Amino acid sequence: MLKDISIGRYYPANSFLHSTDPRVKAILYAVYLVAIFMIKEPIAILVLFGIIVLQLILGKITPRILISTLKPIIPLVLFIFIINVFTIKQGNVLFAWKIISITDYGISRAGIMAVRLVLLIVSTSTLLTLTTTPLKMSDALESLFKPLQVIKVPVHEMSMMMSIALRFIPTLAVETDKIMKAQQSRGADYDTGSFINKVKGYITVLIPLFVSSFRRADELAVAMDARCYRGGKGRTKLNPLKLTLRDVLTCIMFTLLAVLVVVIDFSLR
Amino acid sequence: MTETHVTVKADSRVARKIMLRRIAACAILTAMAVLLMYLEIPLPFMPSFLKFDFSELPVLIGSFALGPVWGIVIELLKNLIHLPVTQTMGIGELSNFITGVIYVGTAGIIYRIFVSKKGAAIAMIIATLVLAAVSVPVNAFLTLPLYGSVMGFPLEAIIGMSAAVNPLVKDKLSLLLAVFVPFNLFKGFIVAGITYFVHLPLSKLINKTYNATHDPATT
Repeated sequence: MLKDISIGRYYPANSFLHSTDPRVKAILYAVYLVAIFMIKEPIAILVLFGIIVLQLILGKITPRILISTLKPIIPLVLFIFIINVFTIKQGNVLFAWKIISITDYGISRAGIMAVRLVLLIVSTSTLLTLTTTPLKMSDALESLFKPLQVIKVPVHEMSMMMSIALRFIPTLAVETDKIMKAQQSRGADYDTGSFINKVKGYITVLIPLFVSSFRRADELAVAMDARCYRGGKGRTKLNPLKLTLRDVLTCIMFTLLAVLVVVIDFSLR
Repeated sequence: MTETHVTVKADSRVARKIMLRRIAACAILTAMAVLLMYLEIPLPFMPSFLKFDFSELPVLIGSFALGPVWGIVIELLKNLIHLPVTQTMGIGELSNFITGVIYVGTAGIIYRIFVSKKGAAIAMIIATLVLAAVSVPVNAFLTLPLYGSVMGFPLEAIIGMSAAVNPLVKDKLSLLLAVFVPFNLFKGFIVAGITYFVHLPLSKLINKTYNATHDPATT
């Protein structure tokens, strides 16, 4: 069960968005996050929908991938929709039964909230998570936060740790699986019994896992030392990030589109 | 504490090795924390967004073994890696980071003052109490308003739903005191209890790692 966890939701393909510089995508991610938070009018949401369709085409995201991205948030969207429908009391009452009343305004507001949330997740995941590998993302973060080195934040070391962590998650997953099976063969139980029993079962996994993790960390430190790793200064990369004219234009175009949506929204209020 | 630190004169080679061990231990513990986020145990009678997971454990152990600052670094990296698969648009990660930093930082600092089994227990009890106290302003001024404005999660609805189950809930403040504080206390104590039992057989290893990464001659 642990073996098939995936970190991030990268979808390998060869598209325009996949080959865009990850730093541009990270900036656009932030821009669209803020823009979608700001809009409330249906027409602005419709325009945004158009932009997101464009993003999906540029990222070559197939409907099947899109559906699998949206599946985990369906309960949340439904929950938000229902809560909004029942709590908004303004507008004309369409249906009333004892203390429950549903108004037309409530339904439209709830619909907007739900659609906005779906668009938010589609847009942010096509811009970043579906089209960028986690390793490229940590590269992009390192490059974007480089100015913080002035105030002594160890940006390179943090990004190095993030890359190592990403690399070791599958290894540790296999390890955890192995330990769980070993303990099960000795009679450990994780799935039945009370909450306390389950926790007790997990403790028998956690202790060997910690011991092997610390051992792995020691081995890794020796290996890095043997390869003369000495921090970020003067270190070169196999695939350095290069900002091309196309990346800059993409960044400007999508930022302008986001600004356009926000302007439309504010002019309609 | 056994004095096993290297007696070599503080030179850059030793400093580099210490840095490497810190980076490696921190990275592996982060990987473990992220992994444990997937081993969630849903709590009985709790809403789904208040889930219980073990991911705070490696952070706490890291904070004991490497020092409180590194605990905070693990907490930050853990939430950054979890960000792409977030279901709450990063708000959950933000609040997890803030409360986690407070919990792990407090525990790490106190543990460093009394390095012992008792010290670990005291550190975690105090950290849990601090966490519960701090969760009130964090949720009141940050998490709940953000959920309300970003995801259209009306506060009145949360209060209304909680009031149906818990008669003490009347407004925002009583919601925080009657629902969020007990939840955080409960979560804090469970994590503290597990960490305590995990920490016992590991305490030698933890102190060894601390000594190996904090050579007094270089720091």
